[in-house]
Amino acid sequence: MLDHILSILIFFPAIAAVFGFMIQKDSIRAYGISVATIEFGLSLWLWFTFDGNVSGMQFMENLPLVPSFGVNYILGVDGISLFIIVLAAFFTMIGIASLTETPNEKNMIITILFLQMTMAGVFAALDAIVFYVFWELSLVPMLYIIGAWGGPLRIYASIKFFLYTFAGSLVMLVGMLFMAYFFYQATGTWSFALLDWYRLILPETLQLWLFAAFFIGFAIKVPMFPFHTWLPYAHGQAPTIGSVILAAILLKMGTYAFIRFSLPLFPDASAAFMVPIAVITIIMIIYTAMIAYAQKDVKQVVAYSSISHMGVIILGTFALNVEGITGSIFLMIAHGVVSGALFLLVGVIYDRRHTKLMSEFGGLAHIMPRYATIFGIMLMASVGMPLTINFVGEFLSLLGFYQQSHILTLLAGTAIIVGAIYMLSAYKKMFFGDVTKEENKNLPDINKRELVALIPLSVIAIWLGIYPKPILEPINNSVEAVVRLMHNKAQSELAKERIPNLVKERASVIKKTVIEEEVH
Amino acid sequence: METLLYIALFAPLVSSMFSALFTTTPKKTFVGVIASLLIFTSFVSTSLLLASIVINGNESVHVEMMTWMATGNLYIPFGFIVDKVSVTMMMVVTLVSTIVHIYSIGYMDHDKSFNRFFAWLSAFVFSMMVLVMSDNYAGLFIGWEGVGLCSWGLIGFWFHKESATWAANEAFIMNRIADLGMLIGIFLVYWNTGTLQYEGAFEVFKTLDPATLTWIGIFLFIGAMGKSAQFPLHTWLADAMEGPTPVSALIHAATMVTAGVYLVIRSNELYSLIPNVGLFIASLGAFVALFAASMALVNRDMKRIIAYSTLSQLGYMFAAAGLGAYWVALFHLVAHAFFKALLFLGAGNVMHAMHDELDPFKMGGLKKVMKWTWIMMTIASLALAGIFPFAGFFSKDTILEAAFAEHHFVIYGVLLFTAGLTAFYSFRLVALIFHGEERYKIFGISPHEAYRFMLVAMSPLLILAMIAGVLQEPFFHMIEEILSAHEYHIHSHTTLWIMLVGTQVFVALAILYAYKKYANAFIKVPDGTSAIENSFVYKFLYNQYYIPYFYEEYLVKPYRELSDIFWNKVDMKILDASVDGIAGIIYGTGEKTRAMQSGNLSVMLRWMVVGFVVLLSLAVVFGLTARYSENITVIFSGLGAM
Repeated sequence: MLDHILSILIFFPAIAAVFGFMIQKDSIRAYGISVATIEFGLSLWLWFTFDGNVSGMQFMENLPLVPSFGVNYILGVDGISLFIIVLAAFFTMIGIASLTETPNEKNMIITILFLQMTMAGVFAALDAIVFYVFWELSLVPMLYIIGAWGGPLRIYASIKFFLYTFAGSLVMLVGMLFMAYFFYQATGTWSFALLDWYRLILPETLQLWLFAAFFIGFAIKVPMFPFHTWLPYAHGQAPTIGSVILAAILLKMGTYAFIRFSLPLFPDASAAFMVPIAVITIIMIIYTAMIAYAQKDVKQVVAYSSISHMGVIILGTFALNVEGITGSIFLMIAHGVVSGALFLLVGVIYDRRHTKLMSEFGGLAHIMPRYATIFGIMLMASVGMPLTINFVGEFLSLLGFYQQSHILTLLAGTAIIVGAIYMLSAYKKMFFGDVTKEENKNLPDINKRELVALIPLSVIAIWLGIYPKPILEPINNSVEAVVRLMHNKAQSELAKERIPNLVKERASVIKKTVIEEEVH
Repeated sequence: METLLYIALFAPLVSSMFSALFTTTPKKTFVGVIASLLIFTSFVSTSLLLASIVINGNESVHVEMMTWMATGNLYIPFGFIVDKVSVTMMMVVTLVSTIVHIYSIGYMDHDKSFNRFFAWLSAFVFSMMVLVMSDNYAGLFIGWEGVGLCSWGLIGFWFHKESATWAANEAFIMNRIADLGMLIGIFLVYWNTGTLQYEGAFEVFKTLDPATLTWIGIFLFIGAMGKSAQFPLHTWLADAMEGPTPVSALIHAATMVTAGVYLVIRSNELYSLIPNVGLFIASLGAFVALFAASMALVNRDMKRIIAYSTLSQLGYMFAAAGLGAYWVALFHLVAHAFFKALLFLGAGNVMHAMHDELDPFKMGGLKKVMKWTWIMMTIASLALAGIFPFAGFFSKDTILEAAFAEHHFVIYGVLLFTAGLTAFYSFRLVALIFHGEERYKIFGISPHEAYRFMLVAMSPLLILAMIAGVLQEPFFHMIEEILSAHEYHIHSHTTLWIMLVGTQVFVALAILYAYKKYANAFIKVPDGTSAIENSFVYKFLYNQYYIPYFYEEYLVKPYRELSDIFWNKVDMKILDASVDGIAGIIYGTGEKTRAMQSGNLSVMLRWMVVGFVVLLSLAVVFGLTARYSENITVIFSGLGAM
């Protein structure tokens, strides 16, 4: 069974979803929860049987699909993808468990189970075509969730979400086809297998073009400035569960793909594009944080804050050293936990008051102290308080990038300031002051079903902040392999210089950074 | 020994978590009692550690609890070290927090969030202990942010008050600005030394070039400026007085705000390599000492006056630390913690008696009803003013001597002048509160002395404020190895005596002047009509040099407006609109061209003709191109295009 655990993880929820059509309406929730729990249990099993000391792929499966064109059904996990898969299963579980009364509950749960299939598929796929298939398939359940259960603008938002990301993905697909073609030219055989592509060293000009093609697909998904405008609509209109999964997992597809595809395939291009991308991420960090500060709707604050945090993730990725990339992967997990929890928290108040405008609240800490406490914990995690999960990721990402550029890191570091500004002012508007609105006076505090989701998330947010080692170590090992690969493949002087040589570095003292160069 | 260390460190955490269990339940006195006991446990363990270090001559206790972050070359453990510097800080922190905890049982007696208060307060103590005891910069940063968080929670403790939550956010955000500097400093340390452990980093610092060290020193000091509220990041401290008074005593006087000084002292091996940065720190310190004292002269808010005096004394500490007199800075830090906490707790008694009235002009003559508070605040003020034989005399005078001995006469002069101002505004406050007419009667308040146990709790501080000076010699001998201290001796004894006596006389005159001016029967509650209140200097000082106004008008407002513009104009009108525009063009094209496919035969035929003509002309063009391709190539190559 262990040999096929990845396939099981992918297709079990899908098969269960098909059977779900036959389940009666009253028992669908119990059915959904059990399926998701089994799925989560499987993912935990995967984690515990995963050997953290091995840097390469594990649990590989290989099944030829179209042999003549080298399309194979290849799966595998390493430290980079493992935890996102676990996180996806976890969010599916608590998402269904904490699902509030919704019309057409049955369809909703089946849709989420399908979504779980695509999420597991994207992160386990090691063949570009299989990856692409799951990548696109993930749009469909999300389109349905936003379009069917969303707010007043749901049709516009869902179509915008779908078409925008789809358009980007098509450019990526073209890139993939070219990549396979170049592989064919170089070796004489077709292959879409990622591990084969890793061995291919492309000339730098080609790398630049292919990098750009992949970049458009990934950047829209992340979303990076200026391609981010679909996200506020999607979040604004999506039901709570949709926002939670979108923020926690789906956005991570883009950042994950950067590490899986862009860095190891195009090391020279990555090094060459480092500075422009860092500039974009700095714009993302500051600009969207300021927009978040201007919002009146608390859900939009969290939505824009996601973009701002994604900026830090991308920055860490393009630090091109072990500290930065490890930090960015950790921050993906961290941001998943924290933003997922924040969207759940927004859902709590929305269910009670059917509004998300902060001006409608005020003084909630008097009426809902437990809610205020959990919100406070997540708020502090979001602004990167040490000993919470976000800090580890943010710290490592920025630390990593500092080796590349002092001034850009200083600018990106303003994330910790602007983040505090919008989050604290939102918290103040919602929770502090006197209770002014009559409708708020008798709001019930957080209930058991909501706690089922929020307590584990709070525990994780603090536990992994204090003791990140169980996750950091496997990530670190896999990242070291990636960096080593990149350094070996790099041809240009620039890339050789920017991507550290781990073998040499272990032996000698670390390269000294010289700050004056940049200042003068 | 290790057990003692862990008890000292984690007892406050246990206390905080225990109190947190009761946050949603009504007031329970036992929560306060147990919290106080646990903090006291921590104090006892710290005392034992101190004793073993002093008596047995133990170098230090160093433990590594577990790994925190490890990736690439980075290795950060949860490591704690108790050496002579950190044990001094630990003594101050645990002693003052024990007293403040006990005092708060009385002070917060009628507050419905009594339990929550203790949860936050103990959490603060824990963070402060982490800050002080960590053996690396990352651990220090944990405590650094932790105290910031607790300070946020405690300034905004009465969160129904707009002013309190505003001040809490201001403090947090302003500290965050400084923390960015600190973070950059940490990055620089890591990428230049390969480690964040003090021990390893200090070792490598000696081999680094001065320019890099200067940058490290500057960025770390930016962090210190935020926490210790140095200009221009000082405005949060006065606003932080919105919090309950025990909080002001513990956090915003005795411990947290001195964290910046502690950082500089802790990194003394770095700063002694870069005397230029040290001189900048000292100059800024001297400037802040004077700057803050000037604002205290005219203020009419009891707690704010004490806050400015804290700011001013922090300036003294930085002046000393910047000049390389680390042990003097640390000693002043200790002494200041005692008398300033005493002063604040005394102010708390007055506030309680006066039903939270803060304007000393509305008090007067309180010494009759609040004898003990009067005595305590007077002695604390004498200590603050630096009158022999109280604590402040020893610590402050040594700073002056150090400045003199190092030949920084400008700094010396500024600090000396500030000492006079300090004496004046301290006794202005004492005179207004406790002497003169009983002006409070106009407002129909009947004050009463604080609970007996609160006064008893304060008494250790009273004793220490009186006698801490005796500790100077033993302290010096304890600390001299680790802080490479040297005693500051002015060469000529005559000069020394002239300085000592001169300073004392100057300060004493300032005190007498304050009494004369403010302890008489003619003091009225100011109504904004007197000539002095309308003078430019008064207004300038009263409005804190218009700095808060400047921040509000030129930083906060533009930030808010720019945010709005970014959202409404840039994001919605430009970025999103162009995305929708592109989609609209594609959609519109489809919509328009749909008319072509009407199914009407004659229309279709017409389109067919159009298509035929287009194809034909294309064929002609291509044919001609093919025919004259050579010529065209020549032309293009002439243009440099092919």
